[in-house]
Amino acid sequence: MNIDEIFDFTSFTIDREPHIVLDPQVCVDCDNRGCVNSCPARCYTWSEEEKKMTFVHDGCLECGTCYVVCHRNAFTRWRYPRGGFGVAYRMT
Amino acid sequence: MSKMYQAIVVGAGPAGSSAALTMARAGLDVALVERGSFPGEKNMFGGVLHRLPALEEVFPDFWTRAPLERHIIKKGVTFMTGDSSFNTTIEAGNFDRPPYNGYTVFRPRFDSWLAEEAVKAGATLITRATVENVVLRNDRVAGVTILDRQGEINAPVVVAADGVLSFTAKKAGLRQPTFDPAQMAVGVKALIDMPREVIDERFGLVRDQGFANEFVGCTGGVRGGGFLYTNYDSLSVGLVFHLASLRTSGKTPYDLLNDFLEQPQVAKMVRGGRLQEYSAHLIPEGGYNMIPELVGDGILVTGDAAALCNATGLNLEGINLASQSGVLAGKAVVAAHEKGDFSRRGLQEYRRLMNDSYVIKDLKLYRKAPHMLHNDRIYNEYPELVCSVMEYIYRIEGAPKENLSKLFLKTAREKVGLANLAADAFSAWRAL
Repeated sequence: MNIDEIFDFTSFTIDREPHIVLDPQVCVDCDNRGCVNSCPARCYTWSEEEKKMTFVHDGCLECGTCYVVCHRNAFTRWRYPRGGFGVAYRMT
Repeated sequence: MSKMYQAIVVGAGPAGSSAALTMARAGLDVALVERGSFPGEKNMFGGVLHRLPALEEVFPDFWTRAPLERHIIKKGVTFMTGDSSFNTTIEAGNFDRPPYNGYTVFRPRFDSWLAEEAVKAGATLITRATVENVVLRNDRVAGVTILDRQGEINAPVVVAADGVLSFTAKKAGLRQPTFDPAQMAVGVKALIDMPREVIDERFGLVRDQGFANEFVGCTGGVRGGGFLYTNYDSLSVGLVFHLASLRTSGKTPYDLLNDFLEQPQVAKMVRGGRLQEYSAHLIPEGGYNMIPELVGDGILVTGDAAALCNATGLNLEGINLASQSGVLAGKAVVAAHEKGDFSRRGLQEYRRLMNDSYVIKDLKLYRKAPHMLHNDRIYNEYPELVCSVMEYIYRIEGAPKENLSKLFLKTAREKVGLANLAADAFSAWRAL
């Protein structure tokens, strides 16, 4: 299995507005950044050169992992997407 | 626009739809609010649905009408290392006769169907509606508001069935404001397409028979386990990780899933299959100690929202507990309507019904299991111990064999340590 492909098999209706918003400064000071490896959808990327956390909401599986592993509460918003948006499972 | 109902259920999963169905059948005007474009769109689970005694009571022909896949006749446990595995399976004649003990199902289909049954009984299903807040009147929950929609949906009582993070319970002040990663697990799953005949041949199945297998030692040292379940013409294969352990491991769920699928014995089981869908979700695994306040003024909490999930290490039960709690919440709301009392006291009937049910009793009985499962040796050393002892027993080398009990003790001393072995056996005995 090509691991990069697994994310392409799930369907999404992407909202323009993200349902999760970070305060990036909190992530800069974080000693853990467990979100980066724990997120099953690879939504969080930490750049060591730029000292910057990037979050992309497009492929979010709405599983809740980041909400629980973030011990610094970096979220200025964490909610589920508006009705009709986000991940759409067909047969899981 | 505001609308008044006799009860609101937040979330059309197994707990919510069971609650809505129970109330609608008793003649209440119920709103069933769901954030997906259809019920089940947002829901995933490992794949095995156990018996649902509470629903069978309200719904005697449940099992002949629900959209189910295969019934489980064979259950297995595999102790696994990077290239070996030791399996035990139980296949029982009783598992092949109705009432069947469990089925594989697809949530988008199953949850849609159950919600539709609630609608047939008279409930109003409102989809594409993400609840934003609870409406409070005189410190009592009296309705909900919907994200990006005007107005309120009002009712004297709200049933929170909005899943593991339950923002509804949080906003009503019933659940803890933050979660402990040690009480949570995340499951990831690959749905793999495979022709029905191939599945029947490969796993030794006929007719509608199904196979469910759990794995230990397949999570790269992270606390957790694996599963493989057969649907009619697909396999559900996945891993579950304890979040605290995953977080500190630095490993990723998808790389570990890939390693699992490429482990030589698993690779043979999934060979030729095509990936169809990848999904993930949190599981509340804290057991009895994690259960929040179940009843507040004008509100009841059910299913995953109430952390009703029993993870004993061998079985992982959730949907059955969810639907049972939903039915009991429904009954308590019906009783509250008869008395006209929706205060915390008026809704205590739910707490009483729950305490008398297998839901709370089982969670209480296994309340030490979550602690026992927080032991790294279970996920690394023990599978290695089992595999290496079994391998030795069967290996022919032309040299005299060692006495088996001596061999076991020697290997156990090397891999685990005898004091640890004794302590773990004691802790498992106490927990189970």
